[in-house]
Amino acid sequence: MTVAFPKQAFPGRVLEVTLPAAEGGTPVIVGGQNALPLAPEGEKHNPVAVGMEVGTGSGEIPPSLAHALGGREKDPVSLARACEDEWGASFIFLSLSGCHPDNGSQTVAMGAKLARDVLAAVRCPVIVGGCGDEEIDAKLFPAVAEAAPRPVFLSYADEKNYRLVGGAALAYGHGVVSWSPIDINMAKQINLLLSDIGVPPERILIDPLTGGLGYGLEYTYSIVERIRLAGLSGDAMLARPVLCHLGDAWKAREAVDASEPSWGDPDVRGPRWEEATGWACLAAGADLLVCRHPGNAALLRGTSWR
Amino acid sequence: MLSLARSSLDYNLGRRGGDAPLGYPETAYELPVVFGLTDMKVRALADAEPVLSLAEGLIRKPPTLANALDAGAATLLAAEVLGALSHKGGNPFPPPSTGFIPDSILRKLGIFMVDGSVPGVAVAVGKADDPAAAAAMIRQFQEIGLLVFLAGGLVGQAEKAGVKLGDDFRTFPLGPLPAVIHAVNFAVRAGLTFGGLGRGQADAMYGYLANRVKAFVCALGPLDDIALAVAAGAMKAGFPVFTDQELPEIPGLLFRRAAGEEMVRSGMEARGIKVKIVKVPIPIAFGPAYEGERIRKSDTHAEFGGGRATAYELVTSAPLTEVRDKEITVVGPDIAGIPKGGTLPLGIVVTVAGNRMQKDFESVLERRIHRIVNYGEGTMHVAQRDTTWIRVSDEAVSRGFTLSDLGMMLYAKIHADFENIVDKVSVTIHTREEDVLAGLAHAKTIYAERDARARTLTDDAVEEFYSCTLCQSFAPNHVCIVAPERLGLCGAINWLDGKAGYEITPTGPNQPVKKGAVLNSVKGAWDGVNAFVREHSRNTVPGFNLYSIMDAPMTSCGCFECILAVIPEANGVMAVNREFAGAETPCGMGFSTLAGSVGGGAQTPGFMGVGKHYLLSRKFLGAEGGLPRLVWMTKEMKEQLGADLRARAAEIGMPDLIDKIADETIAVTPDKLLEHLVKVGHPALSMPSLL
Repeated sequence: MTVAFPKQAFPGRVLEVTLPAAEGGTPVIVGGQNALPLAPEGEKHNPVAVGMEVGTGSGEIPPSLAHALGGREKDPVSLARACEDEWGASFIFLSLSGCHPDNGSQTVAMGAKLARDVLAAVRCPVIVGGCGDEEIDAKLFPAVAEAAPRPVFLSYADEKNYRLVGGAALAYGHGVVSWSPIDINMAKQINLLLSDIGVPPERILIDPLTGGLGYGLEYTYSIVERIRLAGLSGDAMLARPVLCHLGDAWKAREAVDASEPSWGDPDVRGPRWEEATGWACLAAGADLLVCRHPGNAALLRGTSWR
Repeated sequence: MLSLARSSLDYNLGRRGGDAPLGYPETAYELPVVFGLTDMKVRALADAEPVLSLAEGLIRKPPTLANALDAGAATLLAAEVLGALSHKGGNPFPPPSTGFIPDSILRKLGIFMVDGSVPGVAVAVGKADDPAAAAAMIRQFQEIGLLVFLAGGLVGQAEKAGVKLGDDFRTFPLGPLPAVIHAVNFAVRAGLTFGGLGRGQADAMYGYLANRVKAFVCALGPLDDIALAVAAGAMKAGFPVFTDQELPEIPGLLFRRAAGEEMVRSGMEARGIKVKIVKVPIPIAFGPAYEGERIRKSDTHAEFGGGRATAYELVTSAPLTEVRDKEITVVGPDIAGIPKGGTLPLGIVVTVAGNRMQKDFESVLERRIHRIVNYGEGTMHVAQRDTTWIRVSDEAVSRGFTLSDLGMMLYAKIHADFENIVDKVSVTIHTREEDVLAGLAHAKTIYAERDARARTLTDDAVEEFYSCTLCQSFAPNHVCIVAPERLGLCGAINWLDGKAGYEITPTGPNQPVKKGAVLNSVKGAWDGVNAFVREHSRNTVPGFNLYSIMDAPMTSCGCFECILAVIPEANGVMAVNREFAGAETPCGMGFSTLAGSVGGGAQTPGFMGVGKHYLLSRKFLGAEGGLPRLVWMTKEMKEQLGADLRARAAEIGMPDLIDKIADETIAVTPDKLLEHLVKVGHPALSMPSLL
C-alpha cells in the first residue's frame, strides 16, 4: 500500500527580487518560491544567496574571525575583493559602521567614498548598511545613494527613517532593506509605508532582525516562518524575500570567549556558532544570509536541500 | 507666452535648423513638462513644433474656468519650450539666478521632500510693492524649512535685502518671470523620479502634483499677462495661487491675501503643510521618562484642582477657520504670582481643528492631557475632566516654568501624536475664579453630551469594531476585537481609541473590522469578525464569541487587567485583577499563576482576560447570563468599580447583587465560597449549569 504525502499548495508566491550586479558580475535573484523550505512540494527555482559582511569600523573583531580574514579586515576594499573572488560571496553587505562615533568616526563623505570604492572593486551586488546612529545615518544614506555608481540596496529602513531611506532609494534607483525588530506586524507596516511613498515592491527585502544562536534566534526563527507563511497565504506585503544577517552570532560569549578551554577551540567554535545560526534561518525560510566567516559562505551556499 | 515661444522657436529654426538639439542641461527627462504631460519626444528643435501646436489647440474660448486651466497647461508647455531654447548655452541668466535646476539637485532635495524634512514648496513670483515685506516673507519660508523658488523682480529685491539664496538655503532664484517654469519642471521631475511615473501619464502627473507636491504660489505685485498665464499654469498643476492684488477669488485655486505672514499661513493651510516640532521650547525637560514622577507636597510650588480649587480640562474641536494654530493664551494670574504652596483655579481649554478630526475623538485627545502633563519634569497630573489635579514643583518654577509652557506642552504633543487628524491646536488657560466657573459649567454640558453619546454607542448600533494587534509581537496569533461594549482586555483601548488609532496610523494595529452578518446575537458572533480573526491569527483561531467565556471565548495576549475564571462548584465566575498579590482565589490559583495559562493567544474555555470595565457592560458574559454569574471578585476591584457595579446591578433588577459577591476576606476556597453563596442566596446558584 502506498501512502501519498500530504502536499500543501499555497495561494501566494514570494516576489522575485533582483539585486543588480556590475557589468560582468552575476546578479543575485531571490524569492519566487511558492512553498516552504525543506518541504518537497512547490517551485523553488532560486537558490539561497549567501553574502559576506565587510565592515569599515575601527573596533576589534573576534580573533577567530580575524585569523580567517587574514588581516584584511582593516581594508574594506581588499576584503570585499577577497569575499567575492576567494570565498565566493554572492553579494557584499558593506556595513559603514566606521561612521559611528564609537567605531571610528569617519565622516559621511568618507563613508560614501568607501561605498564607491568597494562598488568599484567588486562586480557582485552590494547592500550598504548604515552605522546605526540615527542622525549620522540620516546624512549617510542620501550621500551613499548619490555616490553609488550603480544600484545597491540600502540597509535599512525602519519605522522612523523609512521616508528618508525610501526617498534616497527612489532618487537614485536603489533598493531598500526594510527592518523590523522581530515583529511581523511591524515588518508588514514598514513595507506598506514604503509602498505608500512609492518604493516598488521588487526593490524591497525584509530584514526581520536576526538574533544569534542562544540569544534570540528562536524568536527570529518564529518570525521568519510566520512572515513566510503569511506571504505564501496571500499577504502581498509579506511575500518578499527575507534577509538574515548572522552578525549577532559573533556577539555570543559562547562563540568568542577563549577563557573557557572546555568549550573547545574558539577558531572552530566561532564559525560553528555562526553556521548553526545560519542553518536555522534557512530552515525558517530565509532567502539571503549575510555571514562574516569566509568558511560559512561556502558551507551555507551549498544548501541543496532547499 | 505661446507667441513668445513660437517666435523664439521660429528664429532658432531659421538660424540652426530643425536637427539642432533642444533640451535642458543635466537632466534625463528632455523637456520635463512635455515628458510628463504628453507622449511627445523632444530632442531637437523640430520636435518642439508639435508641442506648440498642441498648446495652441488648448487655448479655447469662451473664458470658462476649465478653458482657463487648459490655457494654463498651454502656458506650461510653451514656457517649457521657451525655457529650453534659452538654455542652449547653459544658464542664460546672470547670478544669482540659477535657471534650470539640474537633476542632481532635484534628487538631493527630493529625498527631503519624501522624508518630510522639507515640508512643502513655496513659489514666489512677481515684483513686490513692499520689498522689505517680501524679504521677510521669504525668510519666513526658510525658517519653516520650505523649498523656495523665486522668479521675476523678486529675485533682485530679495538679493538686495540680503536674503540668503542658493542650495544651502533651499532657495532658488530662478530668473525673470517666465523662468518660473523651472519650478514646474522641477515638480514634474519629482513625479517622474519619486512618484514612479512614466512618460505621458498626464492624469497621474496632475494627481501627483496636486496631492504629493505640497506647493503653493505667491504672486506679488501687479500681474501682467505673462504673470496671469503663469498663474493659470500653476493652478492647472494643482498649486493654489495667492495674490496681493484685487482679483476675484476662485475657490480652492486663487486667493486674495495680504503679502506676509497671512499669505504664508494661508498657503500652508491650503496645502496642509505642517511643521514638525523637534523640541518643545519649555524651560523644563519633557518626555516619557518623567511620566512616573510624583511630586510630593513639600516639593510643590503650586497646585491646581484636586479638591483644593476648581479645575477642569476640556478638548473640543472647531472648524479650521476658527482656530488659530499655536495660539496659547493665559487669562488671569500665572504661577509666578503665587506663593509656595498656593493654589489657583484652573481651566484648560484646548481647541483643535483638522480636516480628519471627528467630534468623537475629542475625548480621546482629552484623556491624553494626563500623559502629556506628566511628561514634564516637575509637573504632575492626576485624574481627568473636572476632577483634574495638577502640581508644579518648586524646581520647575525656579527654572521659569509658567502656565503658557504648560500650554506649549499640550500644543506640541497633541500636534505630534495626532498629526494625521489635527491640523491646528490652540490652548487657553483660565485662572480667574469667575472664568473657571463659567468654563466649568460649559464643560459639564459637553461632558454630559459625551456621556450621552457613549451610551448610544452600542455593539448593535455600530457597523464596525476595531482590531488591536499591538501585542502580536509576543502573542503572535492573538487578535483583540474592540467593541463599544467590550473594551480591549488591557483596559487601555476602547472603541473610540481604536477608531482614532486607525485615523492616526491607517497601517497600524487598529484596523476597522466589519461586523458582517450576525451569527449569534446573544453570544456575540459575527461572520465578519470571525473572518478577520481567522486571517489575522493566521488561521489558528477560527473565530470567537465576544460575550462568552465557555464557548469559543476571545483569546488573550497577556496584558489583561483582570482574569475571569469559571468556578464550577459555584456555577459562576470569579474576577481577579492584576494588582491582586494573594496566591489564593477560589479557583486555586493567584493572578500570576492564572495568567500563565490564560495568555499567549490561546483560546481556553472557562478562562478569559478582560478589561475591568467590561464587568460593567450590558454585554458582560451575555451568553452565560451576565453579571449575576459573578460570584467572587477581589475587594480592590469591588471598591474600584463599586458605584458603577451597583448601578448596573440595579439596572438588571438585583440591587443587592454586589453585596452577595464574595471576596478574599470571605472565601478563597470553592467550599467556603459555596457556603457563602448559599447563605446569601446568590442568583448564580439557580442559573442554568455552566458546564
